[in-house]
Amino acid sequence: MDGSPVVRVRRALVIGYGSPIRGDDALGPLLAERLRRDGVPAWVDVHARHILTPDLAPEIAAVELVIFIDAAEQGTPGEILCQPLEPRPGPAATLVHFLDPRELLAWTRALYGCAPRAYLVSTAGQQFAFSHAELSPPVAAAVEALIRNVRSLLDGYDHATIPGDRTSI
Amino acid sequence: MSRTITIEPVTRIEGHARITLQLDDAGRVADAKFHLTQFRGFEKFCEGRPYREMPALTARTCGICPVSHLLASNKACDDLLSVAIPPTGEKLRRIMNLAQLVQSHALSFFHLSSPDLLLGWDADPVSRNIFGVMQSHPELARRGIRLRQIGQQIIETLGGKKIHPTWVVPGGVNEPLTAFKRDQMLTLLPEALEIAKETYAFYKTLVPRFQQEASHFGDLSTLFLSLVTPDGDLEHYDGVLRVTDAQGRILEDKVPPSDYQRLIGEAVEDFTYMKFPYYKPHGYPRGMYRVGPLARLNNAEACGTPFADVALAEFRMLQESGPISSSFHYHYARLVEIIFAIEMMKRLLKDPQILDHRVRARARSNQNEGIGVAEAPRGTLIHHYQIDDDGLMTWMNLIIATGHNNLAMNASIQQVAAAYVDGTKLAEGMLNRVEAVIRCYDPCLSCASHAFGQMPLSIELRDAAGRLVATQRRD
Repeated sequence: MDGSPVVRVRRALVIGYGSPIRGDDALGPLLAERLRRDGVPAWVDVHARHILTPDLAPEIAAVELVIFIDAAEQGTPGEILCQPLEPRPGPAATLVHFLDPRELLAWTRALYGCAPRAYLVSTAGQQFAFSHAELSPPVAAAVEALIRNVRSLLDGYDHATIPGDRTSI
Repeated sequence: MSRTITIEPVTRIEGHARITLQLDDAGRVADAKFHLTQFRGFEKFCEGRPYREMPALTARTCGICPVSHLLASNKACDDLLSVAIPPTGEKLRRIMNLAQLVQSHALSFFHLSSPDLLLGWDADPVSRNIFGVMQSHPELARRGIRLRQIGQQIIETLGGKKIHPTWVVPGGVNEPLTAFKRDQMLTLLPEALEIAKETYAFYKTLVPRFQQEASHFGDLSTLFLSLVTPDGDLEHYDGVLRVTDAQGRILEDKVPPSDYQRLIGEAVEDFTYMKFPYYKPHGYPRGMYRVGPLARLNNAEACGTPFADVALAEFRMLQESGPISSSFHYHYARLVEIIFAIEMMKRLLKDPQILDHRVRARARSNQNEGIGVAEAPRGTLIHHYQIDDDGLMTWMNLIIATGHNNLAMNASIQQVAAAYVDGTKLAEGMLNRVEAVIRCYDPCLSCASHAFGQMPLSIELRDAAGRLVATQRRD
């Protein structure tokens, strides 16, 4: 994609992000890989990323729905959070190596004039110590519900309705 | 009454840092220190792990330049195997390294430094950021994204994923290149070169405005260290070490990377977790040297590609004679290197051997010590491993590009602060210039401390008794 106007197509993007060697921070990439392995509709692209970087902006601008998956720093491990996101340029915009999803949406809108409907699906991590793609028990127990939540969002988008924004297991 | 100003966090850099400015009774800067305040201990926790895990593990040092660690680590492992990797394997690794350089330099120039360069150091900090650039120069911002995206796409095409590819392995790479993938990458390069050349041409028109900054943003008399080709040209993957002095005289040449310890000592200070490498023959701290794009261009006889050589000649005209001494011109050097990287990737991809199926030498460890050196975007990256006979790590030393520049960064802060900071009437633009001189080096502090996470920066102001008078902090 060059600097020309973005052509948006009816597609969705799922981005699971986090460090695979920092305990529950591996949640995002692990879920993205699981979704890819189990299969997603042809109109869905799935990315597993260590961090959110600016080069994702053109891809996000080209879809109608983006779902971020991440482990939250605060909250109750295992509780599923599904929150809609709005673009939000903030002070953190000056530290651009790592982007918050809302900031990435702000980049997308500022650069390409549009930002898709966006959600963050997450649960709080219990531990972020060094380990290799290993989740703590409460976070591991939440994986199936998180997957269902992402698929529910995709189904809802497919049927032009979006499900509620918070569920618990 | 003397005071100390502390800048924390330093923004638009990778890592977590604090700058302390010590003022004298007249409010002038008497001393300046750059503190790295996080510690990670990568070298320690790798001990006892199998050496074959090191490429994947050390690449996790950083989410920004994992390819650099991947390559230096695999080169150290090549050394442990005592193998020469097949020529095509080496060329493929080179392409990945150059793609990494393009995406990293693009991030540094377009998105970290452009707010200062385009909007001014004294612009309102509320808008002096990438969103301000998107408003004032939207096409430039989009082009920066596109250039970074092209670099990432090439890394992904070669390695299978953008951030932590596992395609580079000890002995070479684990899969030959297909014609389809080669053509995919070649298709991207004309657009990348056009963006790079146009940005370079645009930046040249800005440079005359920055005479004052160039005189005070780390205009230092230092040595320069980098890899060069055996003929002395620009090199990013292999080659030999060269050290030149502030007058351009070659002090060390054709030094095998395995002899790095003869050249480099490492000092520690109690105010920071980042080590202070220095040129051993000159001692500490007199042996201050710089690495990275500025050093590489100062050390190279030529780039060896058409447009980059023209740009290199123009780069050398920034100064009447001698090596380019101001760290401000790291920005210029990055643009020259982006052009070079794109041209060189095209040359390598068009090499008739590039589709050869022999891309990996297989062996078990054949010696207990291995050293791998490559040029990361920010400078020379050294991985040094020792293993036992079972292949388990017994010792590791990493010298990171940002670490090499530590002495120079501290000297640069002092210089810029002395020129711009008036302790009797602090202004945000003064402090931003102090931060901006750090951004010239594009430091990656996660790598340098092997620390984790986002690292903000603070500025503190202290009086003669050491009492905190004021703090400015940005997350």
